[in-house]
Amino acid sequence: MANPLNLPMAPRALRNLFSRPATRRYPAEVRPRFEGARGKIVFDVETCNFCTLCARRCPTLAITVSREERTWSIEHLNCIACNACVEVCAKKSLTMSKESRAVQVPGDGSDGRRPGREEWHGPAPEAAS
Amino acid sequence: MKRTVIPFGPQHPVLPEPLVLDLILEDERVVDAVPTIGYIHRGLEMMVEKVEYTEMGFVVERICGICSFMHGMGYCAAIESIMDVEVPERARWLRLIWAEISRIQSHLLWLGLAADAFGFENLFMQVWRMREEVLDIFEQTTGGRIIHSVNRIGGVKRDISDSELAAILARLETLGRDFGTATRVFAKDPSIAHRLGGVGVLTEEEARAVDAVGPMARASGVVMDTRLSGAHLYDRLDFEPVIETAGDCLARVLVRLREVEQSIDLIRQAIDRMPKGEGLPLDNRPRGNPQGEVFTRLEQPRGEVLYYVKANGTKFLERFRARTPTFANIPAMIKLVKGCDLADVPNIILTIDPCISCTER
Repeated sequence: MANPLNLPMAPRALRNLFSRPATRRYPAEVRPRFEGARGKIVFDVETCNFCTLCARRCPTLAITVSREERTWSIEHLNCIACNACVEVCAKKSLTMSKESRAVQVPGDGSDGRRPGREEWHGPAPEAAS
Repeated sequence: MKRTVIPFGPQHPVLPEPLVLDLILEDERVVDAVPTIGYIHRGLEMMVEKVEYTEMGFVVERICGICSFMHGMGYCAAIESIMDVEVPERARWLRLIWAEISRIQSHLLWLGLAADAFGFENLFMQVWRMREEVLDIFEQTTGGRIIHSVNRIGGVKRDISDSELAAILARLETLGRDFGTATRVFAKDPSIAHRLGGVGVLTEEEARAVDAVGPMARASGVVMDTRLSGAHLYDRLDFEPVIETAGDCLARVLVRLREVEQSIDLIRQAIDRMPKGEGLPLDNRPRGNPQGEVFTRLEQPRGEVLYYVKANGTKFLERFRARTPTFANIPAMIKLVKGCDLADVPNIILTIDPCISCTER
């Protein structure tokens, strides 16, 4: 017959009665992201020279760059935040922000845009030099 | 007697993963079990033909969300040994530390699931509260909670500063003391002992006969741990595998409980013995493409994992294969399930720590 007073969980259960909950009241209270967390890619069009290295290094083909049209775009829903493009960028135009990506809702497609797509147009080459 | 066939999974409350098993019952007793593998096959191994070997590490990490670090590490180690790359020492120690942290994470996750399976909801939540601490350490040091992406061929991408390592160790030691209270519950609680003790006994001979791996084999008294081979710097640590001899479900819980404490100790030793200082080299990136074939082994939280890589001198590998620990443990699971009561099936299946994503890739 087992000892009815053998209750190893009891101290913890009693402590739980009087301690703060381990969880947060999300979304009222949001845990700040840690420094160095991989959240989303931030692009700076001013410094980019459209070398296309980031697009070639991207494992999920989320980045498209056109040197001729001087456009740079990213599909945030394809991006896996692996940091490969940030590491390869010689101009430091790409940085990894610790903030996570915004929630995407599917659009009705009337504006021809995919949700989560961001696009930048750089200045013309003469103006840039 | 008339036989009944009960499908266990792909969706079953005890396991979040789609294990597919047909249980053949006579009355309440299981007489046979037929596993089916392939429900969530994703063809990740086939992707080596389309994904460059330098980027394949990201795919390999996604084989499974629990052992993602070790999968990445094993893949990189395989390519490194084909290409004869000397990994800098600090990078090797960092890999070992992350690997042991991921073992703690995986065991805590499993202990929570096990507690949930035998109906101890409070214990389940306590263990998962502790696991959250470990995930925070991962997010702080690697940038990701589950998918870490810090391994690269030739080394690691990020350093952990010495002060940060000391802070991590302090957090893990606090966690270890907290975990001691949970250990006491798992080891002493009479309802757990009643539910798991003597259920699903795998003797040492049987464990050897069905080639059980990892905690499953160690709970049956088989001294088997890939870390004993000394690869990945384990030869520089004082390491003794955790062995239990009872071979029942309770022994498998106890092995994992003690392995969490052992991992904290291994991390302490590693931090003591690794080269200190800022700016030490972290990677030694190879040039060119790999040529040749190699097998590598690692001790994952669930047991021995085996990677086979065959490269043909182009940037695409010819073949990549991972033999994961759950796959090796399925024969043992079938053996245990035969002859037990239907009510014990969830506990027996859970104590092999099945990872179906790994198994079916």
